[in-house]
Amino acid sequence: MPSSRATSPPAWPCCEGGAKPDRAIGASLVAIVSAATSGSPSSPIRRPGATNGRGETAEKPADSVPGRIVLAMQGVTKSYPNGRVALRGVDLTIPEGDFVFLVGPSGAGKSTVIKLLIRDELPTKGAVLLDGRDLGRLKRREVPKIRRKIGVVFQDFKLLPNKTVRDNVGFALEVTGARRSVIVPAVDRVLRVVGLTGQADQLPSQLSGGEQQRTAIARALVHNPRLFIADEPTGNLDPMISWEIIQLLLRINDLGVTVLMATHNAEVVTAVRKRVVALENGRIVRDQVGAAYHRED
Amino acid sequence: MFAFVGFSLRRAWLGFWRNGLMSLAATATMVLMLVLLSGLIILLHGLDATLNYVQQEVQVVAYLKDGATPQDTAGLVTSLQGMAQVTHVESVSKDKALQDFLARHPDEAEVINSLSTNPLPASLQINLRDPSDYLDVATYLKTQPAVDRVLNIKQTVDQMVTVIGILRAGGTAILVAVGLIVLFIIVNTIRLAVVSRADEIEIMRLVGASDAFIRWPFIFEGAFVGLLGAGVTIVLLLIGQGQITDFLSGYFQVLPVEAAVTVGQNLILIVLGTGVGIGVLGSYLSVRSYLIR
Repeated sequence: MPSSRATSPPAWPCCEGGAKPDRAIGASLVAIVSAATSGSPSSPIRRPGATNGRGETAEKPADSVPGRIVLAMQGVTKSYPNGRVALRGVDLTIPEGDFVFLVGPSGAGKSTVIKLLIRDELPTKGAVLLDGRDLGRLKRREVPKIRRKIGVVFQDFKLLPNKTVRDNVGFALEVTGARRSVIVPAVDRVLRVVGLTGQADQLPSQLSGGEQQRTAIARALVHNPRLFIADEPTGNLDPMISWEIIQLLLRINDLGVTVLMATHNAEVVTAVRKRVVALENGRIVRDQVGAAYHRED
Repeated sequence: MFAFVGFSLRRAWLGFWRNGLMSLAATATMVLMLVLLSGLIILLHGLDATLNYVQQEVQVVAYLKDGATPQDTAGLVTSLQGMAQVTHVESVSKDKALQDFLARHPDEAEVINSLSTNPLPASLQINLRDPSDYLDVATYLKTQPAVDRVLNIKQTVDQMVTVIGILRAGGTAILVAVGLIVLFIIVNTIRLAVVSRADEIEIMRLVGASDAFIRWPFIFEGAFVGLLGAGVTIVLLLIGQGQITDFLSGYFQVLPVEAAVTVGQNLILIVLGTGVGIGVLGSYLSVRSYLIR
């Protein structure tokens, strides 16, 4: 379905002018990214289209293995008890270090894919493999361990309102029984990555929407997930803040984390030119590297 | 392990105070229900003590032949005291029987005095452990040569045993029914408190918390609600103790003094156990529905 938006150049007010959207991610992240990647992001801001034509795995850190499969969905069909069929024979493979946009209209099955990945639901037919483990064959007590390999953020952030940023992030490690001596440096590290060191002792209600989402991202990253899933992470944010979040996700990807982002945000998808998987009526209708939000013929 | 218990207790404590209104509702419900349960237990205990007393008052009375020698009587008393069904035997001589009669019926003194001999027989008054053992003792007495006749109280005893049985069963049934209702109400209130924190449980699941890490803080919190509820209930009972004792001793004048003491000690244990137990059970059941997925 070609669209006029797909052909018009994406316009990001922030990115023409200067460094505003990245002010918080800024310096601290540059240092971390520089240390971790062979590339040198001299400018903290990626201009729209700058990734065009770049190899998808060009900037991976040494410890990740490009080509190794993080996630595989094999012939997955999901029907709900009410008879609705959400997914029909979906095959999807995501190699280590990939950045994938999952797009499609509401009701196309994006949320079902995410529910299957975090094992909130089980496929009716087919298999979902994370790091080679079939999620449908896990024992009950193995489920939490698998969930620690996945970091998830949602549109509504899901932060605990009466915990500070630091405690919200640390909570993810605390509930796995980690010691304080492990939690404190890990939290400090991810807060530096998302640029929230200065807000560490504030409550979610004292933060902007973008900062709340960055807190959620930090929490999802704190146990070094194999797969980072973002379900409409910019759905509640204005365009400028959305762009900040996307930049952050791209940097996290640069650090070697595989990212899957479900979104409706056509401008963002088209601007960054990553792999796009489009769902319609429960089927994958397009799987294209370096693509726009809409089909470009 | 240490970190786990510490984490759970800390979370339970925070959970209780940060959800003040829900915790207050759960604790208040707990107190109300425990007070209701305690009141019922006190009443039933009173009933039980009364029934026991009534049972002990059942006496088999055997009238002795006038020819029975004191040796005959003493032998009979000894053999009766050896019977397992018998708690107490009292021997009433002819003279004692006459005195008792005159004390009860002073108007009849003239009639009695006009007689040349004492018409009243000597008797044995036998208290039973259980009134339904009446027949065993009566049958034994009838075979004894010194015994003239045994007062037939069979019908009275049978009726009393039936009534006492019904009262006991009824009391237990009411206690069980109220206990179940109390359980249901408290479990439901705790469930509300847990449901109001569904987000928290969801976040814990998403970040990979094991079931134990999700469940135990809530179980400790339930135990804490139970402990607090039981504590308040016990304080209320202690404050009302004087009135309760007055009421009981006024109403059941026959109540032995020790009965009131035992009910006090047992009740504190029952209230504590019920409070903590139901609190834990309520939390366990409520969180379970979130974990089975």
